[in-house]
Amino acid sequence: MSLVSMTASVEPAEVAPAPSSASVARAGSGRLLRPALGLLLPVAVAVSWELAVRHGFASGRLVPPPSVIFQTFADLARTGELELHAGATLSRVIAGFAFGVVAGTVLGAITGYSALTNRLVDPTLQALRAIPSIAWVPLFILWFGIFEASKIILIAVGVFFPVYLGVMGAVMSVDRKIVEVGRAFRLSGTAMVRRILLPAVMPAYVISLRAGMGLGWMFVVAAEFMGASTGLGFLLIDGQQLGKPAQIVAAIVAFAILGKATDWLIVLLSAPFLRWEDRFARV
Amino acid sequence: MLVVDRIGKTYPNGVRALDGISLNVAPGEILVVIGGSGCGKSTMLRAISGLDTPSQGKVVLDGMVITAPHEQIGIIFQEPRLLPWLRVADNVGFGLEQCPKEERNARVARALERVGLADKARVWPRELSGGQAQRVAIARALVPRPQVLLLDEPFSALDAFTRADLQDHLLDLWADSKPTLIVVTHDVEEAIVLADRIMVMRPHPGRVYEEILCDLPRPRDRQSAAFDFVKRRVLAALDRSLERAVITDDGETRAAAGGGLWW
Repeated sequence: MSLVSMTASVEPAEVAPAPSSASVARAGSGRLLRPALGLLLPVAVAVSWELAVRHGFASGRLVPPPSVIFQTFADLARTGELELHAGATLSRVIAGFAFGVVAGTVLGAITGYSALTNRLVDPTLQALRAIPSIAWVPLFILWFGIFEASKIILIAVGVFFPVYLGVMGAVMSVDRKIVEVGRAFRLSGTAMVRRILLPAVMPAYVISLRAGMGLGWMFVVAAEFMGASTGLGFLLIDGQQLGKPAQIVAAIVAFAILGKATDWLIVLLSAPFLRWEDRFARV
Repeated sequence: MLVVDRIGKTYPNGVRALDGISLNVAPGEILVVIGGSGCGKSTMLRAISGLDTPSQGKVVLDGMVITAPHEQIGIIFQEPRLLPWLRVADNVGFGLEQCPKEERNARVARALERVGLADKARVWPRELSGGQAQRVAIARALVPRPQVLLLDEPFSALDAFTRADLQDHLLDLWADSKPTLIVVTHDVEEAIVLADRIMVMRPHPGRVYEEILCDLPRPRDRQSAAFDFVKRRVLAALDRSLERAVITDDGETRAAAGGGLWW
């Protein structure tokens, strides 16, 4: 941090005639500093816990210190277990997410576009949404067995609802005045969807995809709790049954990293489509 | 020639917004429609544009009955209604999807040049001022070279300076290809600056109340006596159309409630 601020203060002196270099350097240091600010709290907590265990103020048996967790994590990675379990979980989430997003997008778009379909289908879907999705687990196991199919379907159900609701709401609230511009330029049905409706629902769609992805990660744990021999959820159960808290926390950390990474991926991939937005917060 | 043949509009709730409006507009003519609120000005314009279908009667352009938006009829709304996800140049080129890319780019560039926004081509609509955005909307409507351009209170959301500026600008653009203009407004000065003919409408239900020819030489001086004379005529017609007394204080003009106006 001090290094960054030093370069920021030194640079304009070196390149004195260019007044813009100072503001560029300041923007650069701001870009580095802002994420660092968010790290302050977790790092402080981790360091104090580590110190507390090192100096014998706590045993760290049930709440392992960061060094032990890191060691466990590294061991899991070295033996290839981490790759196996994280890979299994990730592929389940991706498969469930894909099915949930496709179904949610198609049904959401149709019910948003057509009032008749909305009246026909939406009440049923809303009633189904009111059921806690975990309640489906026994039925899914009876129907689809205990292997991948039932897990992926459970995740897909979890992803479906936020995407469905988001798309339906977004399509229904597209500005009538903007649609009228499309009509005035005689756009056909497909052109209207491609050139007006799709871009108009994009911001809300991205938010619903992120919410769906979040629920996908939630449901994969539930799915893996109901009986799995691989996956991060299996690591959690395994750690509980064998009394290995460090393994549990390591699995949780893996969840956090993967969840954040997939969310970031959605944001990254959607960013080029949302540059036009006139919004309050700039990320 | 645009022919409006006895169009009427009754809304589903039973409100009669338009009652048998007929008018002929010559190619290149500027017709300004003025009237109190609720007199069906916008309803009529939307029927001509093909966005709404009239309950009775028909709109005919060069022998073709207009039932849906037509490529020879452009429309500009009160708000710019730019598509926020397209840059200014892409907004202007929105109606030229069928055009080959090079021709489209050239026409868009020329149109932006013409409305004085060539430097804003790569900018997002959110970065424009109200007046600039409306100029982009005008460029977008003119770029497909419509024969008829409809304007629904196009400058009413702008401040007085920008409004006067854009009125002159619109006439300038009109002179390029001389499309037929039908402008709906509630601003009397705007009507007289623009119009070849002013159509005063009256409400409940919307009807043509009076037509006033406006053949002042162009460009029109807003301060001239002739301008003021036409303005009084239009104001008086508006007042009579609303069955209100005209209040005057110069001793020359007098009016009785609901009656005529003597000059």
